[in-house]
Amino acid sequence: MWFLLLLVLPVAGCFRVSPPDGGSQAQFEGPRTFNAADIALPSSYRIELVASGLTFPTGVTFDADGIPHVTESGYSYGEVWDTPRLLRIDRQDRQTVIAVGENNGPWTGVTYLEGSFYIAEGGTHRGGRVLRVERDGNIRPLLSDLPSFGDHHVNGPVIGPDGQLYFGIGTFTNSGVVGEDNYRYGWLQRHPSAHDTPCRDVTLRGINFTSMNPFTPRADDEAVTGAFVPFGTVTRQGQVIAGRLPCNGAILKMPISGGTPQLVAWGFRNPFGLAFSPDKQLYVTDNSYDDRGSRPVHGTGDLLWLVQAGTWYGWPDFHGLLRLDHHDHFIPPGKPQPPVLLAQHPNQPPKPIAVLGVHSSSNMFDFSRSPFFGHVGEAFIAQFGDLSPTAGKVLAPVGFKVVRVNVENGIVEDFAVNRGRVNGPASKIGGGGLERPIAARFSPDGSALYLVDFGVMTVGQGGKVRLPWATNKPSSEPRRGTGALWKITRSSTAP
Amino acid sequence: MIRTALLISIITIASVALSCSARRSEPIAGPLLLSSPEIAEGRKIFMDHCHQCHPGGEAGLGPSLNNKPLPAFAIRTQVRHGFGAMPAFYENEISETELDSLVTYLKALRQHG
Repeated sequence: MWFLLLLVLPVAGCFRVSPPDGGSQAQFEGPRTFNAADIALPSSYRIELVASGLTFPTGVTFDADGIPHVTESGYSYGEVWDTPRLLRIDRQDRQTVIAVGENNGPWTGVTYLEGSFYIAEGGTHRGGRVLRVERDGNIRPLLSDLPSFGDHHVNGPVIGPDGQLYFGIGTFTNSGVVGEDNYRYGWLQRHPSAHDTPCRDVTLRGINFTSMNPFTPRADDEAVTGAFVPFGTVTRQGQVIAGRLPCNGAILKMPISGGTPQLVAWGFRNPFGLAFSPDKQLYVTDNSYDDRGSRPVHGTGDLLWLVQAGTWYGWPDFHGLLRLDHHDHFIPPGKPQPPVLLAQHPNQPPKPIAVLGVHSSSNMFDFSRSPFFGHVGEAFIAQFGDLSPTAGKVLAPVGFKVVRVNVENGIVEDFAVNRGRVNGPASKIGGGGLERPIAARFSPDGSALYLVDFGVMTVGQGGKVRLPWATNKPSSEPRRGTGALWKITRSSTAP
Repeated sequence: MIRTALLISIITIASVALSCSARRSEPIAGPLLLSSPEIAEGRKIFMDHCHQCHPGGEAGLGPSLNNKPLPAFAIRTQVRHGFGAMPAFYENEISETELDSLVTYLKALRQHG
């Protein structure tokens, strides 16, 4: 028995006693260096640097001439604001500013159709928006006041085969309950009455959670908060939370000329990446729960979903097919099992197409359509990488690479990773490779996969967000000017 | 005798874990040859249940698997009963046949590269 225990211990028994060792936990003095040779790809593929010096880049699209355009976010976790911008990237890294946004980032993604760019604006200050941007830099909001100024924002957008503009709205919270973790993110200080909004009516079980109260200076002050209500508000059993549009944790669509948004599907947590497959099916990457806040959830990998119209996808009570009270699956070490919040569920969530790494932050992706590039019909997903320990402890860096997913069988394969004895961002493991891939998109002819690299973001004591009674809580430290754009091509079709 | 066995076990596991990288994915080690239907089936089970905490058998939320010389019975015990932060997987989640395939896949992955 002891022998068996010793064999098993190195594999499982060390989580509690091992220190967290996420990819964010690095010292970075700068400047960032680049070396494509430090990135490993399958044979016959090569990667090159297209642009560097970008500040918090998030999305890439292409105009009618196939020229890449990149969004710079204008906001990053860590409560760092900058100017949202749309940049054209010409040869030899010549960068031209096409449009400049307001102080309401993050701009999380961009798409292009018939002379206009469509940008998702997160809305940290004045609520989320969907913007139409002309080539002369003129910006016109198509939609405003979206409930997206919490932990997560407006994401996407993509143009569907029906000519509509599809976009995602992430949830305010980790798992439905506003808590001191949201104060630490920063937005609860600006919007103290904000909370999640369901798309359809939901009935609560009346489960409430006690947390520290960050609005008072005393460390022992507490607040009690239920689901889908403002911080410090108690819910009761049988209470109905009215659904409405626009909601969050959802995918919506609207005409590209503007107009009333329609619900596509809901019950997501943070539907970050949206893409249509070659057979015109909508897929989405969903950043799953963190081990933080009043209702922490452990061990839930990010999900790739096939989106079926009108379906509820499980948030805040499921991970994939499983309820959060399923046996011992989602219990954070040393914390209680997350209780189910809803008295009834709209439907049993469908099975995810693929389950990706826990805390990998699997974000924007695209489908290969070119036989020359290969893997036609597979999804290439950019993984931003973990934010350990603020999002939850990991034993080793997760993400910081590009994976490809066969959507027919859910098999996940690494595609672009940094070389080295272990996985991780270049700022942690050394070299001049990838930091935080956040978007992967193919060129219009399908011959090249462009990869937006957000740049260096460590987690440490240098961030701006502080609680009055907890001065040593770590927060994100994004580094301006470290973002980049890479390009992956295939040199031959030979294996 | 027991002490000697324990000592050998610790030294063996520690030396293997410290000396051998767990990286086995295609860009690093080339594509894994799926030499039998059982390995292919095991890979599918791994993707559904294990990959999220041990991406590609490397460390992540949980520790790496690729560089641990665990015998089949230890893997089976770990999966069925869980340990530490790892949950247990019952037969209605991973059947006995699927568990056999999973063990075969993990061995193939460990030997790859």
